[in-house]
Parts: sequence; structure tokens; C-alpha cells
Amino acid sequence: MNEPLPETWEDVARKHGRKIYNFAYRLCGNPDDAADLVQEVLLRVRRGLADYTPGSFDGWLWRITRNAFLDDVRRRKRRPTSPLPDHTDRMSEWSSPGPDEVLAGLRLGEDIQKALLDIPIEFREAVVMCDVVGMSYEEIAAAVAAPIGTVRSRIHRGRKLLRERLT
Amino acid sequence: MNHLGDLLSAHLDGELASHERSRVAEHLQTCDRCRRELEELASARAAVRSLPLLELPVALSTAIGARPDPIPLRRRPVAWVGAAAAAAFAVFVSAAALTAPEPREISPPQLNAVYGAVSSNEGAFTVVKVAGATAAAGGAR
Ligand SMILES: [Zn+2]
Repeated sequence: MNEPLPETWEDVARKHGRKIYNFAYRLCGNPDDAADLVQEVLLRVRRGLADYTPGSFDGWLWRITRNAFLDDVRRRKRRPTSPLPDHTDRMSEWSSPGPDEVLAGLRLGEDIQKALLDIPIEFREAVVMCDVVGMSYEEIAAAVAAPIGTVRSRIHRGRKLLRERLT
Repeated sequence: MNHLGDLLSAHLDGELASHERSRVAEHLQTCDRCRRELEELASARAAVRSLPLLELPVALSTAIGARPDPIPLRRRPVAWVGAAAAAAFAVFVSAAALTAPEPREISPPQLNAVYGAVSSNEGAFTVVKVAGATAAAGGAR
């Protein structure tokens, strides 16, 4: 599945920025880190476009994206003084007294996000690629450089862990 | 009897190989345990799929020169329907204004206003720190 090279990184930003942002947000759980990651990915895309060899553009882009995310995770581990902000708890402060169904619906989303953050990264990544971004198992396997069977197992175990946390 | 395990997730995703499909279908007809597990998996899958697709924060889309994604994600965005949705949006925005920034769904008219204004910036790429940017969007704070 060869795809033509997008002409500029601006095209990449326009076509894929929102996908990358949603991926990043669901993996790290807050808007600032997600925005930083999108910018880092686009910088890497800009540097890499010159060396891009025709192939699956999406596969190439997702490899860059998840590598940028994993680099960020590793950086955080070395810098324990700046943990991910506990966004979810702050949200629940204002929403806990609300009897409103609307707020209940929003809390539900927060619960799901919190459960995602609670499961191991490789499961979270596979589930988000599958159920948020809408990638096929084959596309995920290419992005994470793992066999399809591994992807299938990660998605499955991720869902089981989420289910435990959401009931 | 071997239970289906991760074949169940692949079944939900339409990712079974052809030779696996009949085995899964036959097994599900006779095994309560796998049927129950399938339901649980389906609910976890539906939960993640129910998460709203977020718009890019305005400061970020300005920084990267990106306008709204003309190619939607494969999943359909959560639809905001009717007055209830408008009320929900208003409640959410006013509540969010009091607390931490949270990306939120932006209505199309707002998007046009915002993104129409940055088209002259297209091509300019500067890395900016967008912390707090989402609070500025929508007039909050
Ligand atoms: Zn069984």
C-alpha cells in the first residue's frame, strides 16, 4: 500500500494533527503534554520528510508518533519531580455535587480516561490505536513493530483490565 | 475445552482470519463463559469508543498551522444534538472555566471563526508552549 508523499509537513499537520492529538491525549491524559507531543512529532516529521522513502506513509507517521511518546515517557521517568498532573481528580472536584445527567456523562468519560491511564502503556497504546484512532491490527503491528498476534493479545488484555476498572 | 481468549477481541474487531471464524462461532454457541467474556469485552471496547474526539486546542492549531482535519477519524465524532447539547456545552464551558483546562468539543461556527483567522499563518512553524492555551479558547478565564 504505497502512498504518495505528502508535499509538506503542513499537509501532515493538517491531515493528521487531530489524530495525533487524540492519540496523545488519551495516552497521557492531559492537554499540555498532548500538545507538546504533537509538536514534537511534527518536528520529527519535518526532519524526516527529506529521507522518507515511499511506502506506507501512515505506518511511518505512527512509528514516529509512538517513538516520540515513548521518549517522553522515558524522560519523565528520569525526572520524577514532574509527574503527570492528576487532571482527573481536579475534574471530579467540581462535578461531584452535580446531579445533572450532563455532568454524569462527562464524569463517565473521565472515568474511562482514568482507567486508561491506569493500565500498562503497551496495552493502553494498543487499545487507543484500535478504539480511538481506528487503526487495523495490521496497521498497529506496523506502528509498534510487533507481530499481529502480539497486538491482538495486548488489545485483549487491555480491554480486560479496563473492564475491571470500570465496574 | 480451549476457551477463545483473545480471539474474542479479534472477533469484535472483525479481525479474525477466515479459518478462525467458524471455530469462534461454534464455540460461542455452546460456551456460557466465553459469551459472558465477550459481553464484558464489548462493553470495555464501547466505553473507549464513546470517548469524544477532541478538537485541537486553538493555540496548538495556530502553532502548527493546521486547520480542521478534512479527513475525519474513522469513528464518527460524538454528535451534539439539539438544545440539550447546547446546554451541555454551556455547562461544560462555564464549569471548565473555573477549573483546570480541558480540551472540549468546539462547535463548527466557533471553529470557522477560529481557523478562518489563522489561514494567513499557514506555513509559519514555531514551537510554542501551549500550557493553559485551552483555557483561553472559548473565552474562558
Ligand atoms: Zn469458552
